Amino acid sequence: MSNNTKNKLSKTTLPTSPHLQIYRWNISSITSIMHRLTGVALYFSILIIAWFIVYYTYSFGPISEKENCECLMTEILKTLFFGAIIAIVFSLYYHFCNGIRHLFWDIGKGFELKTAKITGYLSIIFATLLTIATIITTLYLKLF
Amino acid sequence: MKKIEIAPSTKNGFHHWLVQRISAVALIPLIIWLVLSLIEIALDPEGYLPVFFAYPLNAFMSILFFSVSLYHGSLGMRVIIEDYVTNKSKVHFYIMLVNFVSITTATAVILAILKLHLIN
Repeated sequence: MSNNTKNKLSKTTLPTSPHLQIYRWNISSITSIMHRLTGVALYFSILIIAWFIVYYTYSFGPISEKENCECLMTEILKTLFFGAIIAIVFSLYYHFCNGIRHLFWDIGKGFELKTAKITGYLSIIFATLLTIATIITTLYLKLF
Repeated sequence: MKKIEIAPSTKNGFHHWLVQRISAVALIPLIIWLVLSLIEIALDPEGYLPVFFAYPLNAFMSILFFSVSLYHGSLGMRVIIEDYVTNKSKVHFYIMLVNFVSITTATAVILAILKLHLIN
């Protein structure tokens, strides 16, 4: 190894894997990264919900700001809020399903390639179905 | 090439692994309770939300839920920080920050829930 290469190697940072641009995605890596992403999302949503409860408790009187204004901004915010709720609900169900999959792995079950593949797809499908079911139930019961 | 330094064991990896699994198992019934009660709230937000925490079961389960989920969350955030942050002192700083935020939030929300429970 020449001296030049040596210097280059020691100076450059270590290569990061997976190499995202040439990476072939498969179900196991998708479920793994989604588990982490949804976990982080849920952590921050729990923080927001907790501090909202604190705000609700210590604000004077109940929060009753009824805005009948049909401004564009309010509509956009409502849509964003609804989207965020759907994302959080999906994250919750997905993390729940995939977490149970992880717990089965921890007791040593479901490690076969085929089983792991099937359960990976199942956790995404179940999470999506549960999200759709929850939204339909809430809309059907005129909750929102 | 420079010899690769192996990080010394901190001797608490197994405990971390174990408590993360235990809190995950504890969260299963809590999540089911959470979803059911959120649907219950959504049925009648104006009538049910102000008195939600007056019910002993709701106060009990929500305090458990926030404690266990924030604990589980801070354990998970610690793993993610250790995996993606390369600077060692930054790793320690972010872990401490996550723990600080989690403990502060848990304390504040438990106090708020207790107040809502006792007020009604």
